[in-house]
Amino acid sequence: MKKKLLKALLYVLTGGLAFFVVTFTVYFFNLDMKLTSAIEPFLLKWYDRIPRNQHL
Amino acid sequence: MAVKKFNKMVNPEKIKGDTRYGDLYKPHGKVRKRREWRGVGDTLYDYSRWLGIMLTLGKFMAKPRNIKFFFRYRWMANYLAVPMMVDRFTQGLRGEYLRMTHEEQDLIIIDVAKLLNTMARADRRTGNDEEFSKINVLVDENEMTAVMMGFPNLKCTSRETPSTYVSVLLNQHAMEHYIDVAQEYGLPGDVCPMPEAEAGVSIDDDAPIFGACAVQCNTTCDGSLLGNGVISERLEKEDGIPVFQLPAPLRHKEDDVQDYAAEEIRRAIAFIEENTGHKWDWDYYFECAKRVNFATKCRNEWLDMNKTDYPQIFGGNLALYTETNYMAICGKVPEFEKCDRKLMKLAEKAYKKRKMAAPEYRHRAIVWGVQSHFYMDFLVWLLNCWGIVPLTDMLSCINTEMIADTDTPENREQAYYDMAMLTEEMIMRNRTHGGYKVLLDDLFEFVEQYNADMIILWEHITCKALDGMHGLFEDRARELGVPLIWVDHQLFDPRVISRQGVRDQVNSYMRTVMQEEPLDPTLEVLDDENAW
Repeated sequence: MKKKLLKALLYVLTGGLAFFVVTFTVYFFNLDMKLTSAIEPFLLKWYDRIPRNQHL
Repeated sequence: MAVKKFNKMVNPEKIKGDTRYGDLYKPHGKVRKRREWRGVGDTLYDYSRWLGIMLTLGKFMAKPRNIKFFFRYRWMANYLAVPMMVDRFTQGLRGEYLRMTHEEQDLIIIDVAKLLNTMARADRRTGNDEEFSKINVLVDENEMTAVMMGFPNLKCTSRETPSTYVSVLLNQHAMEHYIDVAQEYGLPGDVCPMPEAEAGVSIDDDAPIFGACAVQCNTTCDGSLLGNGVISERLEKEDGIPVFQLPAPLRHKEDDVQDYAAEEIRRAIAFIEENTGHKWDWDYYFECAKRVNFATKCRNEWLDMNKTDYPQIFGGNLALYTETNYMAICGKVPEFEKCDRKLMKLAEKAYKKRKMAAPEYRHRAIVWGVQSHFYMDFLVWLLNCWGIVPLTDMLSCINTEMIADTDTPENREQAYYDMAMLTEEMIMRNRTHGGYKVLLDDLFEFVEQYNADMIILWEHITCKALDGMHGLFEDRARELGVPLIWVDHQLFDPRVISRQGVRDQVNSYMRTVMQEEPLDPTLEVLDDENAW
């Protein structure tokens, strides 16, 4: 039982550490914004294709 | 009146981490090279708040109808830049100042996410929840929402807040498309680009369609009236949504207009009751009124603190939060009262420790005029680049009086006058209209009260209400010997005057007239024309 608990704790800690390393890297090197800024031009092209009832 | 000379103050505490903020900008880039290193504690704190923002955004995108909404409306693309907006407003901040900004901005992000969620659910093109749509009352972006303080079961929803107002905060180029659309349809290019962009969203068929009715307000100017006309035409004739025009008096300091103003409030409430079937609830009104008073009390105390040598809630922290809390929230959201308390605690803590937000305070400035919306974080730049402390700004100098907040027969009558006063004194219009006492004389009184030694005067080049006073400001400043820096901009359109164009006006003045060198020379010239 104790062994199982220790193993579970180890998984949680490893998972937590991996989550921290990955997300902190994304955060610090601004990778989230770099990715979304690369997506934006494609999105704008998409919006241009939407049919609109444009009038005053 | 005599302008006191301000002696430079040096921060005894060393700023941890990065101090050359310009190095983080990528030439021609949309985003920055990396986030700021603020020392271990503050970086980890900022990272934890970033995680929270990502969670808010992730929760919003988890709903299929919200994804549909995202891909339907062009202005939604600007919300890709939410984390970067927070980075811009937290530049150079550490300790309590960083925490204050996050308390405010993270709450505003949650509130806007809720607003977007409401819109996606009610919108005929996406969620199409007809019953839910019927409990929404549409209001303008730049409108005091006091008339909604007595409707606990209705939603006060502004379509323009997320489509135009917040979008420009997120991305300086957000409104160029809509301004162009409006002008292609013959709207003049010399009106304020804010209402013009709002009209452009409507013309471009890019405004969600929902709501039981709408209340529009004669906010401030010719552009506002023009924009409202275009929007209400489509709402009423095409979408079948009735619109009420709430014409608050412009001479708001005069006693003889107050009966009329209160009567208009009564009519607006009757219109909402008639179109929604909901009745005015006095208990809820006075509950909201208490929260309005608490927010006013806090803001008054923060402004008093800013009159001392150790200002705490100032610059971007004061401006953006006040705009949101005063007009859009207006006592209706209890979370903002909690935020006020947290901010007060942080401000008092920092004040007791005599904390400073930058390595040096070289000048104390009153920022006046209508600020550039595409460059709201200019106030942070002023502090970091030149050590100029923006103590308060014109849009934060709003109502300081308490309103009636206990339920008595007399106070029920007074409440109409209080709502009228809040509406007349809403942000911007309380200064741009009402005579030159509120625009010109008050500025110089604030200079004295705040021991300021400088004025930063925004000149929004298509704001006729303010531009007409240009010469009077100059004459008065010259007479009193107050250094006054004009900063031209065009509110929503950085193609006319860029962010660097805004900065250059301060740079030239500081170097030539004041004969000073910047605190952080890497910020003097930034290649951020393409940036969000």
